[in-house]
Amino acid sequence: MSAVVPLRADSLGVSLGSTRALDDVSIEFEPGWTAIVGPNGAGKSTLLRALAGLQGLRSGGVHLHGQALPAWTDRERATRIAWLGQQAETTGELTVREVVQLGRLPHHGLFGAPTARDESVVDAAMHETECSAWQTRRLHELSGGERQRVLIARALAVDAGILLLDEPTTHLDPPHQIALVQLLRRRAAAGVTVVSVLHDLALALLADRLIVLERGRLRAVGHSDDPALHGALIAVFGGAIRIERVGARWVPVANLER
Amino acid sequence: MRTPDQQRRSRLGTRLAALSLVLLAAGLAAGSDGWSMRELWEMLQHGDAALIVGQIRAPRTLGAWLAGALLGLSGAVAQGLFRNPLADPYLLGSASGASLAVVLVLAASSLTGHGIALATAGAVARLGLVGAAFAGALLGISLTLVLARGAEQTTRLLLAGVVVGVLLGAASDLVTSAAPDALRGKQAFMLGSTGFLSWSACAVLAAGLLIALPPAWRLARALDALTLGEDAARSLGLSLARLRAALVGALALAIGVAVSQTGLIAFVGLVSPHLVRRFAPAPHGYTVLASAATGGTLLLAADVLARSLIAPQEVPVGVLTALLGGAYLLWLLHRRRIA
Amino acid sequence: MSGAMRRWACAIVLCALAASSGAALAQPIVVRDDRGIDVALAAPPQRIVSLLPSLTESVCALDACARLVGVDRFSNWPGSVRALPQLGGLEDAQVERVVALKPDLVLAAPSARAIERFEQLGLKVLVLESRDRADVKRTLNTLARVLGAAAQAAAVWSRIERDERLAVERVPAHWRGRHVYFEVDATPYAAGASSFIGETLAQLGLVNIVPNELGPFPKLNPEFVVRAQPDLVIAQHTNLAEMPRRPGWTGLRALRSGSTCGFEPAAYELLIRPGPRMGEAAQSLAACLAALPAPAGARR
Repeated sequence: MSAVVPLRADSLGVSLGSTRALDDVSIEFEPGWTAIVGPNGAGKSTLLRALAGLQGLRSGGVHLHGQALPAWTDRERATRIAWLGQQAETTGELTVREVVQLGRLPHHGLFGAPTARDESVVDAAMHETECSAWQTRRLHELSGGERQRVLIARALAVDAGILLLDEPTTHLDPPHQIALVQLLRRRAAAGVTVVSVLHDLALALLADRLIVLERGRLRAVGHSDDPALHGALIAVFGGAIRIERVGARWVPVANLER
Repeated sequence: MRTPDQQRRSRLGTRLAALSLVLLAAGLAAGSDGWSMRELWEMLQHGDAALIVGQIRAPRTLGAWLAGALLGLSGAVAQGLFRNPLADPYLLGSASGASLAVVLVLAASSLTGHGIALATAGAVARLGLVGAAFAGALLGISLTLVLARGAEQTTRLLLAGVVVGVLLGAASDLVTSAAPDALRGKQAFMLGSTGFLSWSACAVLAAGLLIALPPAWRLARALDALTLGEDAARSLGLSLARLRAALVGALALAIGVAVSQTGLIAFVGLVSPHLVRRFAPAPHGYTVLASAATGGTLLLAADVLARSLIAPQEVPVGVLTALLGGAYLLWLLHRRRIA
Repeated sequence: MSGAMRRWACAIVLCALAASSGAALAQPIVVRDDRGIDVALAAPPQRIVSLLPSLTESVCALDACARLVGVDRFSNWPGSVRALPQLGGLEDAQVERVVALKPDLVLAAPSARAIERFEQLGLKVLVLESRDRADVKRTLNTLARVLGAAAQAAAVWSRIERDERLAVERVPAHWRGRHVYFEVDATPYAAGASSFIGETLAQLGLVNIVPNELGPFPKLNPEFVVRAQPDLVIAQHTNLAEMPRRPGWTGLRALRSGSTCGFEPAAYELLIRPGPRMGEAAQSLAACLAALPAPAGARR
């Protein structure tokens, strides 16, 4: 009998309007870093939303620690799953620190007061994403990349066992992309189930495991040096890429001789 | 050590409190002879102030502050809830519901000839404009909620509010074309007035504020979470449908009470949160309270000026709130006061 | 003079007379309306549309009621005009229906939106508005000239003056010089001394608490009325009924002692409409005053 996995998708089906955004998708997520890749419209963001309990399902279900997601209370779910969407339009006048503090909301609740532990988690999250220096600046004053780091810090501050990130590298320049990858790897190594949607294959291939989606269906699941996975990737992107080994890494290369 | 933000917030708070007290005192001296402290002093000395100052000026002055506070509170909640700085508390059908109800009461007597039973018309007229406006505002918001099928989605709620506003406005026009005498009364209502606020009106306004303010303040953190987006807020464990219902409920009560006592006074609800944001940007817990105080101060200032400028005539108070609030906001924007 | 020459002379004289009277008949009527435009009519109009109640009343007062073919929705006197087609109001006159009635004259107020449209469609429009007593007299005279009833105007005016004189005589002496507050709207809007109704009240010997400087219909601070302590309050009866509930208004002696005149909508309309029934309006007010007990307190 297999151990209970932190997160499991069971024959997920989602309809957005008349299209089938997800069609019979079943995956198990274990601690470690999993990247979800696929062409545009593959259903990557929809899958991540469904895993976070934010998406209405037509069929199937999501199980958190073996128990169906609707069976958990909102707060219990929120302390166990942290979700960061693609950069939504933020409004309001909150400072960086106040934004990151929102990550502790599931823990102390809407009416509870933040504790010393909450504050130290917030400090640590800001330190990890290198935004401690702007604590008192307002979110809307920052650049796109700076804002993204703050939002990532907010997700980190939840300190959840499952971290779902949709395109976390948006707006980030290469040094900060690398820093984020290292951050995710650290978390994965510490036992967190990290799932990220990434359009950048080069970064995705740095993850432990990849999930390939195409038009709402699961095309392949495998480790990043699995040749079968590489084949699926090439097929899904219509032969526009080749996967080549450079040093210790796998790297996607544009296939210009197609 | 206080951060600059905290210093700004406490400074705004102190200034609003001081300004409010000064204006409350000034309001006692504003009357049909214009603004005159000397006249007030004479009246107090000769002992005939009980009627003029005690029964007319004092409740009106306090009532203006209370009504403005309700409007400012509603504006802050509406703008936080709809994540839109142009949101006005009169959305969601409250204004159109109240004015339709007022028009129906005014037209009740002339509609009797058109098939409505005399007894019904009599009951409606007894309810009075105050009760009608309150009931109309609440019914307008309820209709919006029904149309939007609950407070589930913000955009659906806003759209339903616009539709209800248009529909009820059309119904009101229909009634006034059948009973043209009601048109004048409706226009007066739409203009808004602090002219007849009595002590009982003050009690009602104060009660409304005491009931609506605490839940709005307590739930303000949810508005903070909403600034990250609805999905992010839900991912943090917030039940948006219930939160929205509670906040819309507080909004409905605040607006219903304000509209029933003073009619529709434009701009106070819209501009108060902006003024607070310009002076002391803060999370919603502070903004909601400060907006209430700002709205109260703004409407009170407008009321005192309305009485003093062309005494014994009165400028419509809605004109002054637009001028005061709007002009000041424009000036601030021009100066580019960023926190 | 021979018989033939005499016959010729008669014929020539008759022709000359016919020509001269024909020339008189062929002369068009030209009046200047309130826009300053000269409106010319070949003959007195036989089909008239009136879009203002006071003008409807004036036409009927000049005995030309039968010539009305259409009125606005607010015209309600005399009773016979209610049977006529109702053509909307100043803002929403039903252009098509008006044109279909083929009027040879349309009477309107300056604020009517359809004036330009009517003129484009070839109708003659006479714009008149009466705001005060002087206006009423002028309007009556202008209408009388147009209708070819010049003599009637004088008769109507003298009847108005006679009614007013009777009204003044009916006002008890103890009401002369007393202060009056006439409320037009519950906001409150008052009728000042310079308004039409203010003129009527002045004729009856009452002093308006709203002086001339404030204009005809000022929007007052309610405090002003309480402090002015009028001896008499006049308003629509529904407004009058709720006055005691206004903060501080129980302090009005006039309300406490019942020195009030409350009017039903129809009677109230009569008071504020500047038209040929001014005399009746004055009499209505005088009747109310005569029925009231003497006001308490001294004159100011």
